Formats: sequence, C-alpha cells, structure tokens
Amino acid sequence: MDGGMAPPPPEPVSYLCGDCGADNSLKPGDVIQCRECGYRILYKKRTRRIVQYEAR
Amino acid sequence: MVINDVDVREDPAWLKKHKTGKGQALEAPVKNAVDKFQLLPAFLKVRGLVKQHIDSFNYFVNCEIKKIIHAKANEKITSDVDPNYYIKYLDIYVGKPSLEQDYMVESITPQQCRLRDITYAAPISVDIEYTRGKEIVSRKSKQGQGGVVIGRMPIMLRSSRCVLTGKTEAQVAKLGECPLDPGGYFVVKGTEKVILIQEQLSKNRIIIDTDSSGCVAASVTSSTHERKSKTNFLVKHERIYVRLNTFTDDVPIIVVFKAMGMESDQEIVQLVGRDPRYAGILTPSLQECSSLGVYTENQALEYLGTKVKVMQKAWMKQTKSKVDEARDILQNVFLAHVPVKEYNFRQKCIYVGVILRRMLEAMMDPSFVDDKDYVGNKRLELAGQLIALLFEDLFKRMNSEIKRLVDSTFAKPNRSTVFDVAKVIRPDMLSQGLEHAISSGNWTVKRFRMERKGVTQVVSRLSFIAALGHMTRISSQFEKTRKVSGPRALQPSQWGMLCPCDTPEGEACGLTKNLALMTHVTTDEEEGPLINLCTTLGVEDLSMLTGDEINSTKAYMVIFNGLMLGVHRRPNWFANTLRLLRRCGKIGEFVSIFTNPKQRCVYVASDGGRVCRPLVIADQGISRVKEHHMKELKDGFRTFDDFLREGLVEYLDVNEENNTLIALYESEATSRTTHIEIEPFTILGVCAGLIPFPHHNQSPRNTYQCAMGKQAMGNIAYNQLCRMDTLLYLLVYPQRPLLTTRSIELVKYDKLGAGQNATVAVMSYSGYDIEDAIVMNKSSLDRGFGRCIVMKKASAPIKKYANRTSDRIVAPRLIADKEGCLRVPDRAQILDYDGIGGVGEIIRPGDIYINKESPINTRDTVPNPMAIPDSAYKPTPMTYKGPPGECAIVDKVLLTSNDEQQFMIKVLFRHTRRPEIGDKFSSRHGQKGVCGTIVQQEDFPFSERGICPDLIMNPHGFPSRMTIGKMIELLGGKAGVLSGKFHYGSAFGEPSGHADTVEAISATLVKHGFSYCGKDFLYSGITGNPLQSYIFMGPIYYQKLKHMVLDKMHARASGPRMVLTRQPTEGRSREGGLRLGEMERDCLIAHGSSMLLLERLMISSDQFVVQVCTKCGLLGHHNHKLRMSFCSTCRNGENIATMKLPYACKLLFQELQSMNIVPKLDLAEA
Repeated sequence: MDGGMAPPPPEPVSYLCGDCGADNSLKPGDVIQCRECGYRILYKKRTRRIVQYEAR
Repeated sequence: MVINDVDVREDPAWLKKHKTGKGQALEAPVKNAVDKFQLLPAFLKVRGLVKQHIDSFNYFVNCEIKKIIHAKANEKITSDVDPNYYIKYLDIYVGKPSLEQDYMVESITPQQCRLRDITYAAPISVDIEYTRGKEIVSRKSKQGQGGVVIGRMPIMLRSSRCVLTGKTEAQVAKLGECPLDPGGYFVVKGTEKVILIQEQLSKNRIIIDTDSSGCVAASVTSSTHERKSKTNFLVKHERIYVRLNTFTDDVPIIVVFKAMGMESDQEIVQLVGRDPRYAGILTPSLQECSSLGVYTENQALEYLGTKVKVMQKAWMKQTKSKVDEARDILQNVFLAHVPVKEYNFRQKCIYVGVILRRMLEAMMDPSFVDDKDYVGNKRLELAGQLIALLFEDLFKRMNSEIKRLVDSTFAKPNRSTVFDVAKVIRPDMLSQGLEHAISSGNWTVKRFRMERKGVTQVVSRLSFIAALGHMTRISSQFEKTRKVSGPRALQPSQWGMLCPCDTPEGEACGLTKNLALMTHVTTDEEEGPLINLCTTLGVEDLSMLTGDEINSTKAYMVIFNGLMLGVHRRPNWFANTLRLLRRCGKIGEFVSIFTNPKQRCVYVASDGGRVCRPLVIADQGISRVKEHHMKELKDGFRTFDDFLREGLVEYLDVNEENNTLIALYESEATSRTTHIEIEPFTILGVCAGLIPFPHHNQSPRNTYQCAMGKQAMGNIAYNQLCRMDTLLYLLVYPQRPLLTTRSIELVKYDKLGAGQNATVAVMSYSGYDIEDAIVMNKSSLDRGFGRCIVMKKASAPIKKYANRTSDRIVAPRLIADKEGCLRVPDRAQILDYDGIGGVGEIIRPGDIYINKESPINTRDTVPNPMAIPDSAYKPTPMTYKGPPGECAIVDKVLLTSNDEQQFMIKVLFRHTRRPEIGDKFSSRHGQKGVCGTIVQQEDFPFSERGICPDLIMNPHGFPSRMTIGKMIELLGGKAGVLSGKFHYGSAFGEPSGHADTVEAISATLVKHGFSYCGKDFLYSGITGNPLQSYIFMGPIYYQKLKHMVLDKMHARASGPRMVLTRQPTEGRSREGGLRLGEMERDCLIAHGSSMLLLERLMISSDQFVVQVCTKCGLLGHHNHKLRMSFCSTCRNGENIATMKLPYACKLLFQELQSMNIVPKLDLAEA
C-alpha cells in the first residue's frame, strides 16, 4: 500500500446479501439482515482500491 | 479374462485389436460369470455411504422416540398433591429444522447453521392431554406440528427430517450444500459433529469366558428400557456361584435356583442336562446348598436376603422384608432382560439352566468358550441409539421437573389463576441437554450410571475422504492403554464387515476400526410378529416342557434376541423356512437366522447394531443373479431393492455367515455353495479403496496410506469456497488419479480428488533424495504442481455486556505524521470506512483487520449505553497473526448474527503456497517423503521424447517397503497416458476385470513404442550424456500432505519470557525457546562440560544477580541510590556478596520462605 496517500474520503460501505445479492448498507446497531429478503448473512464487497498480487 | 474397462469391452473394434497375452480373443463370450459389479453402484445409490448413521437416526426420530414417550414410566405425570391431576403424552413429533427469530419461524439449512454458528435442529412437539381446573384439555397437533413444543432436536444431515432429503443435486447445491457430501453428522453451534459408532459386547447374550485363573465364567449383560444389569456366573472351588452387584457376596447357584421356586435337585440337574458328567460337576454345588440348610424356596430367599446390600438410606423406612427384597432382586436385577410375570420364574430358571449347561460344556471342552472378539458377539451402537438414551434421560428429567412444578403450585393454598401446564413447559432443558452432549461429546445418563467421554468428534474436513472416513469410524470401549492383543487383532469374522486395512497406528491400533464398503448396521425391528411367526412355524413353548424335553437330543432350542422361545424338532426346516420368508420379504431383510449345531440352538436375531452385508444367493452353486437381471439393472428397470425383494440378494450377519458356504467368484462355486460374493474389493473400506493394487502391497503400507489419505490436500466439497472453516487446506489444481479403482468411482473420489498425477522417475539424483526425500522439478512447481491454498478463519463476536453497553467497530482513527498531515496508521491501512478489512486486500502480520473498541466499564449501569463518549472505549483491535514475512489475502468477510442476536464478523484469510523444501508428499502406497531439494528443469533428466519427470524418487524406497502396487500404478498410469484412458487397479480385481494385469499394461506400453517394463532411456540434464541405466519412469498419483514447513519452522535467539520464572516461554506458538532437556543435560554432565551446562541452563535462560549475606545466608537487596547492598535481616551491608543464580532458584527460596522454611546460602570461595 502506498503510505503517502491522503486519507480516502469516507465512503459508505455496502454489503451483499448472501441469498438474493441485494446491496445493503448497515449503520451501527442495525440488525444484520437483508432489507430485501430477510436473509441474515451478509458479505462484504470486494475492495475498490487497486491491489497488486505477486504471482510466483 | 482381462479387460481394461467395462465400457470399452462393448466396442467391437477395440476388441478386435486387443488380444490377451495368451492369444485368446477377447470377444469370446463370457458365459458363466455374471459381472455383478453393477450391483455395487446400485447398492450405494439406495443406501449411500453413511446409511447406517442415517437409518439409525431415522429409526430414532420416527419410531423409538414414540416408544420412549409411550413407555409406562414416561407416559403419564401425576401429582402427589392433587390425585385428579394428570398430564398424558399422546404423541410426539420431530418437525423440520427451523429457528424462531423475532417471533417468526424460519426454516434453516445446514449451510446457514455453519455460517451463523447455530444448531441445525428441529422443534420436538408433543400432543398432551391434561386437566386444567375441572376440565380435561387436550392439545393436539395441526399440520404435523404437535400442540406443545418441548425442545429442539439436533437433526442429522440427510436424515428424513433434514431439508436435503429428496432433493436433486441441483436443489441441494442451491441450498449451499455439496451434493457429494455424505451427511450423517450434526451441525451444533456451527461446528460439524459426528457421533462415532461405538462398539460393544452384545447385550442380553450369554458369553462364556475364562477368568484370570483359567476357570470358566459366564456373563450376561442385561439391558432393557428400564434397567441395565450385569450378571456373572463363576466357578470357585469347583462350585458355581452367581455374582451380582446388589449382593454383598457371591451366592451359590443352587440357592438361586431354589429361590426361584425350583426346589427339587433332580429337576435342576434335569434342566441342565441328563449327561451324567453334568451331574458330577454339579454335585459340589448341590452339596453346598444342602450344607447351608437351604431346601425350600423360602429358606433360599431368606438366605439371599442376608446377602442383599443394605442401602444407606436412613430416612427411608424399611418397608419390605428381606425375603421380598431378595425376590425383587431376582425378578428385576438378576438377568433383568428375562421377563418374569407374576413371580413365575420358570423362564428364568430355564435360562439359568442353559447358562449352566454352557459352562459345564466349556469346562469339559475348552472349545465351547466364546470368543469375545468375534464380530458376531459385538454390537455397534449408532447415533440414533445414543441420542435415544440421552433423550429419554432428559425427557424423564423434564417430567420430574414438571411434576415438581405441579406439586408446588397445588401445594399453595390459594391460587389466583387456573394452572395451565402447557404454559409452563420450558423447552430449554431438552434443547440444551442434547446440544451440550453433542457439542462436548460427554454422554452422561445417571440412570444407567453411564459416563462416556469423546463420543462425538468434529468432522475432519482436511479432505473429502477424511470426512467420509470419519463417518465409517468405529471406536471401541476398550482401554487404549492396556497392552492386549486380542481386541486389537484382525478377526477372521470381520471379513467383508470391517476394513482390514484402515486402523490408526500407535495406541488406538486395532481398537479404532472402519466399516467396509457394503456393511450395513441394523436397527431394531418389531419383535412381536416374529415371535408369533416362530410359534406358528412349530416352536414348542418352554412353559409346556420339562428340562428333559428341552435338552433332548432331537430338538434344537430356539433363541430369539437372547430369549429362549422354545424348542423345535426340525431346526433346519425351521431355519430354512424363516430364511425363505425373509427372502420373500415377509419378514425384515435384516433378521438373521443362525443354527448352531454345537450348541444345538437356532438363533433368530432382529436386534439393532448387528453388522451385515449383502451377498448373492446361489442354489447349489448356481447364482440366482443372471445376465438378464444385470441388464435390467443397467437399463434402469431394476434397483437394488428389487434384487432384495425377489430373493436374488440377501443380507447376512456375521453369525448367519457360519451357516453358509460363500464362493468368492461364481466360477469357484461348488454344489455346496450357498452364496457368492458380490465383489471381493468390498472387504475394504472407503479409505483403503483409494489404493490401486492394494493386494500387491505389503499390508502395513496400505494401513499407512489409510492414515495419510486423510491428511492429503485436495478438494473438500463442491461448496468449499463458501464454507468458513477455521482451517481449510485446498489444492490449487487437483486432479483425478490416472490409475483409478472401482471404489474411487463409487465414493466419488474422482470428482473431489486430493492429489496430482506426477511423472516420477525412480532414480538417485543429487544426494538430496536419501531417506525418502524427493527431488522436485522447479518448472513443475511453476506450472502449479503441489500448489495449495490455506484458508484461515478469524471470527470476532461483537459482545454485548451486562450494562447494555457493547463493543463497537469504528473507522480507523487518523493520526498526524511528522509533517503534521493526518493519515491512517500503517497497521490500519487495509481497513475500510466501516472498520473492517477490505476484501481482496493484502494483509501482513500485525495488520488490523477489525478495528474493534470495547467499553472500559462493562459492569456499572450507564445512563445511555448507546451514546457513551469515545473516551469510555478502549481499542481492542483484531490483528492478523501469520508466518512472519508472508502475506495473506483477505478472502471473504461475513457479517451475521447468531440465534442469540449476537452480531458476529467472520474474516477468511487466503494464503497460497508453493511447495518448498521440507513439505511432505506421499503416493497412495504409504510411501511418504519430504521434498529434499528443488532443481531447475534444465538439470533434470529427460527422455528423447522430451519427457521430463516432475519428481525423482530414490529406488531405495522399494526393497524394504515392498510396495509392488506402486510399481504397477506407475506402469498402468503410463499406459493410461499413452492410450488415453483410465486404467483400473481395484483390489483383487484381476479375475473380475476390475484391475488390469501387468501383462495387459505391458502390451499397451509396447504398442505405443515403450519398453514393456516401464523403463525409459534418459539423458542426464547436467552433462547431456545418456544415463548408464534405463530409468523406471511414469505417472504416479501424489498427494500433498498437510504438514508443511511454513507451519512448523521455528527458531529463537532471544524472545519472550514467562513472567513468573523469567525462563523462556515454551512452544512455537509463543515463540518459545528450544529446551535442553534432562537427557541432554545428562550428556553434558557425563561429558564434563560444565561451562556449557552453566551457559545453557542459567546464562541463556534465567540468570539473575542476587545479594547474599554471608553471615546469615539470606538474600539481601541492592540500593541503587546509595550504590550499596544491604542484608534485610541483619540490617547492615557488611557481609554482602554478589552472585548469579537462576531466577527460578531465587523464586524457590522465596516460596519456601513464605511457607516458613528458610533456605540459607552457605558461600565459599570458588
């Protein structure tokens, strides 16, 4: 990671429902549940930052 | 007949081209041998690989649970206070797995339970009838759900109550489950738990044994629903005694007879048998009885009454007389499983008579002594039975709890509301009891004084085979520490039932076993109809017969599940008729009928826990399964059940096998043959089934492979990337073995393999290949050979505290750097704005992945717990800990909550590794080795075709290991590569065409221009010269085992120390020191290297400078301000000496002082 970068602007993080795939945004204290289908497992989306992996 | 592949056989063009070594054309029709192999897939299709677990659980959920609630002691709860009050259980239901959340009942799937750390359980509900006030109310079921929920039952995956049953592969996959997963385990609090099969000595059977002094003894372990007891019969001073726990002393057998109403000595002797030798042996016992002055029933009972153990219950009033007590013991404890109706002991007397006769026979002829290790004398206890035990105990406890509640409410003088029991039943006790037992593995049933530990285990998910092998594992009750060979030895009777190869090495060797491929474990069957049937078929009732008639040489005794039913005059006709009925499907297919001419008994068994296996029935050596049957099976007109129903195939248990003559192959059948094996390789289990040509290997090698196959990395399941296991090893490019076996196809190992086909050259190279090390080709590693993924899970519960505060996750705090601009700290670089690491980010050791903060005060009440200031939190971040210098990738972040509404974050880290020096590899023949060196492909030997091996194995691995199977695998694999098809190497498969012969393989090799012996002409990669000898080279399936250097390597110069002793910490995980143990110390002492010893044990460990007062010998202290040392006891600094001591030594002195022991140091000039 490039350390000298300015702090990223606060962007809201949204999560994917494990069942229907809908986008969900969570606030502190919210119940972990999909707003669309009520499924209780949410996954975090892949980061939007650029990552470079080492292939060896 | 040698055929490589069944499918190819039908191809005429192929057949024309291929001739066997003898020149015989392959197209010659196979007339007499029917290929019965197709029965196996059909069998596994209807049964599945872990059917024994699932059947047993289904039986419990559907039948046994109902029996439990309808048992006399459980069915009705009454009150001691109000005689009109009662609660009666009418029916019980176990529903579908579901969970109630926010007052909504949701159906749950196993995968959800794993991810959310909840239990895959279904509500247990009951229909009850009870009194409320003056009226009788009943709560009845609606839509399969009972009136009142009493608890939650953990549900076995793929059992009848599981959501996965009856679903197609696609539907199963839709639920996030792997279609190839066998099921048979439970998901409790997110972890998969399997209840191991428990092996026990048969219940309710007479076992004749010899004791330590060589005397004959008999024992019967009685087990009924109400009671378990053990009755021993033993010989002391030529007299026979009964030993029971409830008697203080051994009681003479004749006294017991008399107490049971058999007063005449003649009748007793007649009951035992008319052989005069019997009477001779019994004489001392008879004499003793008369010398005791016991002649009548009453005298005998009075005598027994004096021997009854006195219960130390002073508060209980002695209500029963001694005689009554003795009679009760005889009725309820002594051989408890033999029914006694209205004190009619006739049946029990006959039972004792039979035991006595067996003992006397064994005294005269030692061959009558039973073998305790004989598989027919064993019963396997499965998940259903074990849960039934637990459930009944918990159910009884719940009932007594309800009764207590009812009594206490009725005892109150004035009640405001009408008492409604349906509202007070609390389901927690049952749910938690079951859940706790399965998750901890501690089975405690106080009623039977049962206390077992380690009944359940976490399903091993190292590889697909490991999980499958876990389901077939049998653990034995024997003590592991005892050095006995009997129970550990291979038993001839385990043929086809238990795998002869698959057992661990070391202390559990031979005690932990595995089921063979086709084994079935029976469940209990209804007894009543079978008893009626026996009577109808001419069994003469015992109560009508005298001892003489029972023992007559003309009749056989019929014993049903350990109970004497009566005698039959035509035992063979009786047995054959019963078998006929079984083959017609009129009685259960697992009922076994076994005539024992030696004991002159017919044993009919329908009890649960017997092992049995299917066999093809033959009439005078001619198989009933014909070619057209197999064709119909192939075309899908027939299933395995049809074979059973039509009496072509039947299940035999170990005992009944004794009445049969089983031919291994149809061609070997003679006119006396009654059965034919389906396939010989089914004697092996799932793990041993993976080995190609195991019948060519030295047997321990197959055992080693069975252990190693469970450690091989590969594919775990189709849903492996959706799982969140704590630790998961995956292979990046798994392959299916080039040389397969039929078992591999049956267990679907070819779909979820755990290894790669490596081209192996058997030669010596570089010297880094000694002691089983292997030399690896660097380019092969670049291409992905042996590359693996290690997934690690970290989970963080967001705790809620008693004062309603809770942990929180916050965005990383910005800190000012040197230039004064705000930035995210280095450790928190990968965090997103939500305070959780981003998916796909590279993470290094020490990085924060969850920026958690916890409230400092978690006890006292806080006015507004949701809005306490930032200063009230302390940071408790989760940091990544991994091998230093390596970096992992955040693979997945999951947010969920469990059934207690606890918020939880699970993070999965992925680490891809390529093989390095020291990683462990193994072929499928118990030949493990570590990677010794990695060599450039340029330096590797190569053939003129440009073939270059992936790894080089030292030929010294072969002579002492004698793994010929590995050589044949190499040959077969090479032929397979050249001809473009998979070759087979099933165990004992050559005669039936399920394994290719070396001749056939060699012919294929020659056809493709290779040497028949598999050797190749190679050039040295270093010099370019041809190698002096031809090299045995070809593909072998190699497994990468989970032991990797990266997880094990450890070194330390200086590092953390323990707080108390200031010695270095212990263990790799704590970056501990390397211990110089007492044996190493002894070496240094013996060598006389005292300075080295001092350096190792003190200077490099816990050296400490102390001030010693030479006068008083106690420790003083040093004042740094005054730069002076003082003795605290003498209060001066005159006689102080400074010396070095291990800190542990100083600690010991102080600890001793604290206990009023004063150690003093007496110093002398060195």
